[in-house]
This record gives sequence, structure tokens and C-alpha cells, in this order.
Amino acid sequence: MKPLAGLRIADFTVHAAGPFCTHMLSQMGAEVIKVETALRPDIFRKPHAVYGREGPATFDQVSSNKLSVRLNLKHPDGVALAKKLVTIADVAAESFRAGVMTRLGLGYETLRVAKQDIVMVSVSSSGQTGPESHFAGYAPLFGAWGGLGYLSGHADGPPVEMRHVMDHSVGMHAALATLAALHRLRRTGLGCHVDVAAREVASSLVGDALTAASAGVSVGRMGNDDMTRAPHGLFPTVDKDRWLSIAVSTDGEWQKLAQIIGHPQLAADPRYAKKASRHTHRRDLDGPITDWTSAQNGEAAAEQLQASGIAAHLSWAASDIVVDPHMRARGAILEVTETNGHHRAAVGRPARFAGDDAPGITRGTPAFGGDEDYVYGELLGLSRARIKALVDDKAIY
Amino acid sequence: MTDKPLSGLRVIERASGVAAAQAGRLMCQMGADVIMVEPAGGSCIRQEHPLLPGGQSALFTYLSAGKWSVVCDPSNPNFRQEMDKLLAEADIFIDDTPVADRAGLGLDEARIAEAHPQLVHLSVLPYGAFGPKAGWKGEELNLIHAGGEGFLLPNGLSADLFPDRPPLKIAGHFAEMQGGTTAAMAALAALWAGKGQFVDVSVQDANVAVGAFAIQRFGDGSVEHRLTRSFKFGGVIECANGYVELLTLEPRQWDGLLDLLGADDWANDASLTDEVGRSARGDEINERIRSWARHQQVETLVSEAQKRGVPMARYNAPEHVLTGLQETSRSIFATLDTPEGPVKVHSLPFRFGPDALPVSATVASPGADQSILTGDNGRRASA
Repeated sequence: MKPLAGLRIADFTVHAAGPFCTHMLSQMGAEVIKVETALRPDIFRKPHAVYGREGPATFDQVSSNKLSVRLNLKHPDGVALAKKLVTIADVAAESFRAGVMTRLGLGYETLRVAKQDIVMVSVSSSGQTGPESHFAGYAPLFGAWGGLGYLSGHADGPPVEMRHVMDHSVGMHAALATLAALHRLRRTGLGCHVDVAAREVASSLVGDALTAASAGVSVGRMGNDDMTRAPHGLFPTVDKDRWLSIAVSTDGEWQKLAQIIGHPQLAADPRYAKKASRHTHRRDLDGPITDWTSAQNGEAAAEQLQASGIAAHLSWAASDIVVDPHMRARGAILEVTETNGHHRAAVGRPARFAGDDAPGITRGTPAFGGDEDYVYGELLGLSRARIKALVDDKAIY
Repeated sequence: MTDKPLSGLRVIERASGVAAAQAGRLMCQMGADVIMVEPAGGSCIRQEHPLLPGGQSALFTYLSAGKWSVVCDPSNPNFRQEMDKLLAEADIFIDDTPVADRAGLGLDEARIAEAHPQLVHLSVLPYGAFGPKAGWKGEELNLIHAGGEGFLLPNGLSADLFPDRPPLKIAGHFAEMQGGTTAAMAALAALWAGKGQFVDVSVQDANVAVGAFAIQRFGDGSVEHRLTRSFKFGGVIECANGYVELLTLEPRQWDGLLDLLGADDWANDASLTDEVGRSARGDEINERIRSWARHQQVETLVSEAQKRGVPMARYNAPEHVLTGLQETSRSIFATLDTPEGPVKVHSLPFRFGPDALPVSATVASPGADQSILTGDNGRRASA
């Protein structure tokens, strides 16, 4: 049995970060009821020109496994039904701008009246409090606010924009916080309001640099360099745009690398023998290493270096990851069936549990409102006539 | 909230890498008693840069504030016995010992499961404990590329300026941090199930998970590339005194941008009324934004943009984050006294009520809490 079997989540989240949070919990067994409305279709249910999508997506990673119900939160009966849904849930998750749930009549103080021990999880750009809590934001802005974007980039170039990994990292942190709140609930009987601030996730990811900066240490952009390790970088291989990452941590690893690249004299050179001096002179070594890697097949070179205890890996595109036997063996990549019957690769469970080896995803994207009989009928006990009346009145819409 | 969510949990951490230490950090900041088991001389993370002016590792300070420390060296003949003593009273064991070394230390999955059936045994390794690459070594640089995001960076302005340079990592320990957060999450899920078990976390898997969108796009028929996945306009914009990020995804935000730019001609241009038309003229739009922004002051520009509902943010340097209005208002930094004077440490990026959970003000020296091993009560002798 999956570790979170038996947990139920009322999922009001939208966009990327919030849905990824509940997606992680669903892959580990939680039942997630995704609340949607035709008034504001979910991002994957509509064309998305920014991503070159002409029509709705046929599969959405973060919606897989989830159940879908329609609910119009601008209708008083819709709000009443949302509260009823919360009464049968352990967790209510949302990712609107701070204050929106309260304006909808679904703030934490209201939800805890509906269900005294509810764990409410709010994911927002800047947190539920503070003078900038109302700011609109997307992943690149989280990275910019948090310092992560400023610190990423070439030493002689501009900051770098963070993309979906930033959103999803926020979601991963939110899933962790949700589980911590549930453990506290189990221990104390008390629910709480979990407030996840995306820009704080970004800044927490460079917490070491911030601690250093607070003591007056200057930390800036440094490209692919490491503060002490050398050689350390991306090197071209025989194939175009196939880059090999090599990170040498110890003097012993350097000795081996120097042999492998056919420059044993460099291993003996006092400028490079010791870590600190090698780091100082690191740019000298880029040429000899590039000369060697440029003639190598990247995968074979990575294996050769690993066999000598040197950390190396090719810079992989999605096309490499989806066919990787290692990822497949771990269930980290799995095959799913889309709603249109097609098969495709998707990202599977975030960890392997000895107590359960079931695949993380067992069904694809739910049909819009496709689980209302189960949720409104079976779980909430609404009659067919009542459901129909709510649909006719566009409370379920 | 007066009590922390993980109060009462005991965690044993054997960490030589950032991912395992990050898992322990998160649990510790949420109230668990986290005991670092260090080799003689201390964990190698204590040597990792950046360093504070007096030589103490800022990375270790950040990852380890509030944790306890006992020294239990693998070469010590009592190693197994002492580990067993620690694990007998623990709920979670975090370990990043390479798979090949585990059996020799009595720390392999089967032995731990037999000796400590109540324990959540959390393995945190670059490529996991199972699969053809379980024995591979992985540093941060390798892992950001094994997970797929490295190949896609940089994008936007940096890619425009340096199209021929190799891909670029994210600053610091982004990939390893994802591994650590995922590990902490998985451990709490296992604990929720109410039984001890082995949990196998791979930093690579965690990064593929947070990079899931690239896998989804592949399924849609396209392999993303750093030179082509940039937003068609906006992104990193250089101003007179720094950089800002600009991203308009919704029509009202575009309208706000036109107002900000004073671009009445575009407001009246029928070919720019929808996203498709704007994307087609992205280069032209960006050229104008970039040349206009070069003369603007960051603070004024961001303020005017936010007033118009245009998503824009300054690229904050560390000192901006440390003193930011929002950050200060939410008290996200705690002050720690170190031998070198006070430093700031980031608290958790989430909270369980209105206030940030306090960060413990102690960074333990190696073996500072040896009484946990030598004493009978298993508790710390002194803080």
C-alpha cells in the first residue's frame, strides 16, 4: 500500500507550484480532488501560445492520478459545496494570490469552522503576510526576488531566469510542509494554516551564500565554476551540443584524470597537484581537457571517468532521460496511458519505498468534472436531483 | 504555533553531502532532534565554501544550525555498537554512505531492517541506492545535468549574449537541495504509513521530478533547448543600475506594460492584440523594451510596473534579500552568534501559522553532544 493511502486532499491549486505539491502527494497515495471551473479553465485545458500549444494538452503531469470536479467559487452554493468538500478532506490546498480565498469566503478561519482540524496549505509568490504579499509572480520572479537568479550566470554576464524547476521546487517544499503539518495533527489533534512563500524557497536554496553575505563575504556569479573544486565544468564531446560535466574533488581524482586525458606531466606539475593551487590555475587545464573530450563519445567518456572514481555525467536532454534504463528501473520514469489512449513517458514516484513498489501514476489526466458522481454523490451524499439542480444553476460549472 | 510540527522525532544523520544534510536541516528546523554522526575531525561539509571571514563554513552553518553532534568514526571498533545504540532510539536514519561501503559498516538495507525494524531508513545518494548507476559519483554540477535542467540553461538574455558557450548550472547547490527536500518529504510519508522501511531517494530522480515539464514537452513532441525555450519577450532586462525580470503572460499584464512603456502605437496595433501575434514579434518587442529599460532606475521601474499589475521584480543581490522589505517584515532571517560575530541564517521557506519558526542559535562543534552516546539518558548534556 502506498504510504499516504487514506489521505484526502481538496485541491484548489492552479498554475504550476500548487498542483505539483498535490501531485507529489498523490503519487505517494493521497486521494486528490481537483476543483476546476469553466469560468477559468486550468492552464492545461486551454491552448497555450507561449508554449506553442495550439489546443488543450492531452496529458498533464501534475493532474495525473487526480479526480476532477467542477465548482464555481463565485456562486454561493458553489462556496457552500466547497466547504462541504473540505469537511471530508484532511488537507485543503490552494495557490491563489494571498487574500483571494478569504474573499471567496474560504479563508482558513472559515474552513476551520467547517472542519476544526483541517490542514490548509497556501502556496503564494511572497507569502500570506507582509507588504508585498499581493505581488503577482511566476517562477522567474521568484528566482529574481530570492537571489537565486542574481547568483546564477556567467561571471561576465547577466543573471539567469529560473523556469519550471523553480515552481516545482516550491511545490516539493509545500508537499513536505503539508506532511509535517499532518504529523503534528496526528500528535496534537491540531490543524493549522501552512504558508509557503515561493520567493523564500528561492532564497533558501542559496541560504549558504546569504549567510556568507551577512558576514560581509562577497558572493557573485561564477558560471560553472566551483569555489574549491577544479577541474569543474562542461566540456564538448565529439557530438555537437553533447556536453560532458566533470567535477574533480580531490587530488587523487585529478591524478587519475591527468592520466586519462593523456597528460601525465600535468599530474606531476606542482601548480596542479594540490587542490588550492589547482583551483587558482584552473583555466590552464580547460584546454588539455577539452582536447581530450572533443574526441570522445560523451556516454563512453562518462563511464570511463566514473570507473576511475571521477564524477562525470553527460548533460542530458529530456530525450535522454525518458529512455534511460536506470530511471526506468527505479520507476522514476514510467509509461502512462493518456486519455486519448496514447502512451508516453512521464515522471514517476519521487522515491522508492521498500513497503510499496506500485507505480506512482495509475491514471492520466482526468476528464473535466469527470469524478462528480463519486465525489458529490458517493462521498458527499448529494442526490442526483440535487447535483442536477446545482449544475443547472451553474454552481457546479 | 508554540510547538514545532516534528517535535518529539529523533533523527540520526550521517551526511557527507549537501542533499542528506538538507534533509536533516529541514527536519531539524521543523522541530526534530537531529543528531549528526560525524567521523573523527568532523563532517567534510565543515570544510565547504563559502567560508565566513574566520574560516567557518557558511554552508555548514546554514545546513547544521540546531543539529547536535556526536563523533562516531567508522574506523572505531565500537562503530557498529554505537550506531546501533543511536538507531535504537531514532525514528529516521538519514545516510549518504556510498552503497558499496554500507555492508562493511553494518549500514546496509537488510541489516538495518532486521536490527531496527521501527526505523525509516532514508538513503540519499546522487543516483539512488538501486539501479545500474547506483554506484556512480555525482557532484552538484553533474546532477543538475543528469536531471535535465542543466541542458536547458541559460535561457533568455544570457543565452542571447553567449549562444556558443556550454550549458550553465544554477547557483550553489540547487540540484542537491532538491534531493534533500524530496528526501525529507519521502521520509515523512514513510513515517506516516506507521512502519519502519527503507526509502531510497536519488538526487537525479528529484531533479527529473522538478524538471517534469521538459518530460511532458517531450511527450508532446518537442525536445526543449536552452536557445529556443526563452519567453518570446521580457525575461532578464538590463536597467541603468541593475537587472529586472519581466514576464507578462496575461492580456491585462500586456496592457499594463504598454502603459508603462507609453507604447500607444502598439496599443493600437491589431496584430498585437493576442499572444500569438505578440510572440511572432517578440524580437522587435524585446529590442524596444531593452533599449528603453537601459535608461531606467530599477527601483522606480519595478514600483511603476507593480502599480500597473505588470509582473516585474528586481534581480536581488544577497544584500537586497537580507534587508528586503518583505523578508524583514516576515522575519525570515535569524541571527546566530558565531565565534566570528553574528551572522544571519535563513529560516524555513514555509511556516505553520503567522510567524516563522525560530532557528536554533547553536552550531555544534564535532562531538559537542558526545554525552548522547556515553550517557545513560541519551539526552544532550549541555546546549
